[in-house]
Amino acid sequence: MKKLADLVIKLGYVDRRWIFLIIAVVVMYPLFKPLGLPIRPTESSQEVFNTIEALPQGSKVLLSCDYGPSTKPEIHPMAVGVLRHLFEKGHQVYVTCLWPDGQFMARDALDQVAENEYGLNYGEDYVLLGFRPGNEAVIKGIVSDIRKMYTIDSRAIPIGDIPMMKDIKNISDFDLLFSASAGYPGTVEWVQLAADPTGITMSSGVTSIQVNEVMPYVDAGQIKGILAGMPGAAEYEKLIGKPGIGTSGMDAQSIAHIVIVMFIIFGNIAFYLERQRSKKTF
Amino acid sequence: MFWKRQIPIAIVALVGTITLFGWFIDQPDIKSFVDDDATQWYDILASFAIFLGALNLLKLQMQKIIKRKKGWQYSIFAIGGFLFAITAGFLMRGAYTVNINSVGDTPEVVAQVMAEETEFTTNESEVLLGLIDDDSPLPLEKVYMTGKGVNKVANKIIASGASAEIIPENWGAHLTKKDGLFNWMFFKVFTPLSATMFALLAFLVASASYRAFRIRNFEATLLLVSGIIIMLGRVPIGSKISSWFVLYILALLLGVIVNSWKSNKILTFSTVGIGLLVVTIAGFYMGWPIDKPAFAYLPSLQEWIYLVPNIAGARAIMIGIGLGVFATSIRYILGIEKSYIGE
Amino acid sequence: MNDKKFWFTFGVILIVFIIYWLLGHPHFIVERVTMFYAILLAASMLIYYINKAKRGEKIYLRTIPGLKAFEEAVGRATEMGKPVLYVPGIVDMDQVETVAGVIILGHVAKMTARYETALNVPVARSIVMKAGRESVRESYIMEGRPDLFNEDMVHYLTDDQFAYAAGVNGIMMREKPAAVFYQGKFYAESLILAETGNSIGAIQIAGTASPAQIPFFVTACDYTLIGEEFFAASAYLSQDPKLIGAVKGMDVLKFMIIGLIVLSIFLRLFYDLGWINFDILKYLTIQ
Repeated sequence: MKKLADLVIKLGYVDRRWIFLIIAVVVMYPLFKPLGLPIRPTESSQEVFNTIEALPQGSKVLLSCDYGPSTKPEIHPMAVGVLRHLFEKGHQVYVTCLWPDGQFMARDALDQVAENEYGLNYGEDYVLLGFRPGNEAVIKGIVSDIRKMYTIDSRAIPIGDIPMMKDIKNISDFDLLFSASAGYPGTVEWVQLAADPTGITMSSGVTSIQVNEVMPYVDAGQIKGILAGMPGAAEYEKLIGKPGIGTSGMDAQSIAHIVIVMFIIFGNIAFYLERQRSKKTF
Repeated sequence: MFWKRQIPIAIVALVGTITLFGWFIDQPDIKSFVDDDATQWYDILASFAIFLGALNLLKLQMQKIIKRKKGWQYSIFAIGGFLFAITAGFLMRGAYTVNINSVGDTPEVVAQVMAEETEFTTNESEVLLGLIDDDSPLPLEKVYMTGKGVNKVANKIIASGASAEIIPENWGAHLTKKDGLFNWMFFKVFTPLSATMFALLAFLVASASYRAFRIRNFEATLLLVSGIIIMLGRVPIGSKISSWFVLYILALLLGVIVNSWKSNKILTFSTVGIGLLVVTIAGFYMGWPIDKPAFAYLPSLQEWIYLVPNIAGARAIMIGIGLGVFATSIRYILGIEKSYIGE
Repeated sequence: MNDKKFWFTFGVILIVFIIYWLLGHPHFIVERVTMFYAILLAASMLIYYINKAKRGEKIYLRTIPGLKAFEEAVGRATEMGKPVLYVPGIVDMDQVETVAGVIILGHVAKMTARYETALNVPVARSIVMKAGRESVRESYIMEGRPDLFNEDMVHYLTDDQFAYAAGVNGIMMREKPAAVFYQGKFYAESLILAETGNSIGAIQIAGTASPAQIPFFVTACDYTLIGEEFFAASAYLSQDPKLIGAVKGMDVLKFMIIGLIVLSIFLRLFYDLGWINFDILKYLTIQ
């Protein structure tokens, strides 16, 4: 018994590289052998879905891709899922980017969904306006006069030559704003400078870490629902009936979380035994 | 001294006051300054300031190489990466395509060349070449990164009897052109590196949790319990854990609490026994539904934690931070804080 | 600004505003008048307490362990003969947190100048580099050690978030600083930095107003300044009466906001019950 206690206490101070190795193994396994765990959509994801479902056909939707390659695994599945949902319903999608990396992510998502899956026409069904520097100034520009911000799109086509930009003057001409955001500038800035002052309906998808910051706005009704991290992306894929990367990542995330919880419990057992031992010594 | 002290303070006070009170004024010029010009001036300054940073970076890395300081080999990668990105972004278009304007007298030869360059077969290429007319040239579905490479292909097509034209991508659009040089660098080099750094978080969260989530005091215990609930409740596997399992755990934990409070074996065992009995009777009565009672079902519990205590805490911190930001800004506007001029 | 000047200026502004209002307040967005009054009230409170502190009145500030540890951390680095690493966040000077981080850098630089400890400040923005250099230079001059100052103490790494994290991690692994300060605005890279700092055995003091990153710093660092504590740090470290007065003013404002929240709850309750016709939310909702 004493030997076992000694071993447990010793393992409480194990080199962190063993922990890294165990995490690597348990995360990789479900990627090769999927477990097929069921996804249960939460209220906040359902609200995002319902908001898009409620849009009348042919609505104009402004999608802001404010994320980069580091957060691609979390946000990209959301962006792809939302694009699929919007194109399925026949809406027009206008894509902007507050991050320079976001333009590449947006291009990637549009190539995958708009071009390859739905065979849509650029300039008539979707347009990638591209990245503009300025953070909040870009949002303010779009709110007041979009042509002040964008004279050409990401393909260097003059805005006046793009058919779907004909009736677009500012943010009030859109029916929905969706922000796929991984930080600053992103969802919070869109709420503060666009959604709240103008009253445009807004939904969002953010990283798991950012959810805390954004939840007060969701609770106050300024944002209609939220997709929270990869679980949110997986839930949205389930709601639209098209599983993707989000869904496949959830098995790995589930196992990783269980392993971390087990580490925590084990660490506390070691901590408790060590405390008992030091109490007895004194 | 006047230029180094009074002028900067005056600029800060004036611009700060206009920006603060400009929000209340509906005059177009002031609104335009506050909403657009002020932030754009800053962005222009920051854009030019990047040269300072870049030169500083190059200077330090070059010094490391020249003086052979520890780790100087890594500086070669730093400078190499810097120069490559500058070249791909500013100096080389890196994205050229070829348009075939007319087929000429030997379409089969042209089709063969086209098949070598694209994913189409010779027959498919011949069909596509047949669609060419004066108003609609055929773009080759391939992007070339260098002028030399695209010239080679264009010459091959011309030599086969067709007429071809090299179309360089527009400056600006060349950054996001699929299969272009910058795009290749972004997706094949930068994206994997960024994703790798972000992926480190998975390992570091595990090691940080293992080290830090210990039951040292009440607050640490609260952090631990809520952390476990959120971690399990957010993922699909949490929805598979029955609320009755959680209730049994709670009954056992109640016994632990009673034991540490009273240190009485009989009381502890009675508490645990009664707890387990109550849960079992309730379970039989309700039919053991996996998600009821909701307060013990992990996904419902984690949603409640997100929506109630989490938002309350987040709002309180936001108000505090807002006040802190306000106070710091007012100190700058009123000239109380002068650290930007070194005072 | 002394009392006489303050009241004179206040009186002038009040008279000008009254005249402007009586003339029909052209261009003024009337829906935002509540916020206008709130700003004037808040600014007045801050100035009042700043003046009170300047007059020599003793203002109590509770002890914040993280701030007391600053000197301890720099002392530890001096004893071990290792450098101090200071990370002022990853965003630009247009964010107040970065400004606060650069202010605190000045205080830390004074300590490193005094103890002749090496200081390394990698930054992610060029303007922060310039501002940081000025702050450090002034601190070294004020401590009478301009000879120890070197411009390359504050150096630029990269704008990109994770490339910056990789660069700072590399500095930590190579130079093994004994004390690491994270003071500014951070995002997801916070845990990467803090865990690496923990692995090299450095004493780590974090300060941020990014709510999402506070838990990571609390978990991985020895001391964490949360939210307002971070903004109040410059007052604590300098013991400047003006800054301490501003902290006191902030606290009084907080009490007023709490009182307003409680009052609003009751007023709204009475409105919903139909006991009064006054809807407080109409005045508190900013357009």
